[in-house]
Amino acid sequence: MTTPSLPDQTDLAILNVLQDDLPLVSRPWEAIAERLGISETDIISRMKTLKDIGIIRGISPVLESRHLGLHAATLVALHVPEERVDEVAAVISSYQEVSHNFKRDHYYTLWFTIAAQNGEGIRNVLDEILERTGIPESDVLDLPTIKKIKIDVRFSFLPAQIRENTDGPD
Amino acid sequence: MDQIDVHLLQELEHGLLLVPAPFEEMGKRLGLNDDEVVERIRLLKEAGIIRKFRARIDQRKAGITANALVAWNPAGSGGNNLGELIAAFPSVTHCYERMPVPGRWEYTHYTVHHGYSKDQVLDEVRAVAEQTGCRDYTVLFSTREFKRVPNVRMRENGGGTP
Repeated sequence: MTTPSLPDQTDLAILNVLQDDLPLVSRPWEAIAERLGISETDIISRMKTLKDIGIIRGISPVLESRHLGLHAATLVALHVPEERVDEVAAVISSYQEVSHNFKRDHYYTLWFTIAAQNGEGIRNVLDEILERTGIPESDVLDLPTIKKIKIDVRFSFLPAQIRENTDGPD
Repeated sequence: MDQIDVHLLQELEHGLLLVPAPFEEMGKRLGLNDDEVVERIRLLKEAGIIRKFRARIDQRKAGITANALVAWNPAGSGGNNLGELIAAFPSVTHCYERMPVPGRWEYTHYTVHHGYSKDQVLDEVRAVAEQTGCRDYTVLFSTREFKRVPNVRMRENGGGTP
């Protein structure tokens, strides 16, 4: 952590609560602050700091893709030679249909998601990526989504003293 | 969803302002008062268009640096309901069922796990394996993040087509 004084226990409590649905009232920060036993001014100033240091990226709605025209999705894995990872990853990330693109420690190096209106839209993006990068079909895993069973992105922020017990050599 | 909802979702995508009455601020740009903004958001949630309204967090900057995608193959471990079993673990943030690539990649269920260390994540994955009886799995730790944005972006990828 570059700023060792942050986040403190109150900040962690704020981060945990902010991952719940926001209270839909005209003063939502005041409502959350009350729950945490701090003032509205305090929570706003702490949230601003958490935003400045990049821990909070923003407070915004998560939209349901199928209600907004995105009916098909897939996860794709590519085997990419180490020296080509940056170049191939840049091509993949340039598509707005791609929302997540990670390198993972596996024979299949790059893992990314594509969402589009339908299967054809997905196939077009994938074909174009393969054509532009020259990655052969035999180095591709295309794993279309059958069912979203759970999506609940939530991180459990623990106070430092508890965290130390679970910390192992990385 | 009407045109005002589309504008509202586009505005909300920028994130709420950190001021005492953020919906009032947002409403000013749309010609709505804060009650109207709140009511529209409530209806969008009721319609399932807004799945959740929460903070987007860069967990790495807060110390949660380990992230693994785990691929599971329930075949042979006897449960047709493996997905539901796995999803019930609070540490699992995502659980998807996907088509396999027969002969090359038989995994059908995918979970995402986050932790302060790789060991913490591995302990969790082992616990899931034990409790579900699914022993055929592979753990894919992320080593670099090239892109991570919300999968629906009103202004960018077709969200907003009513």
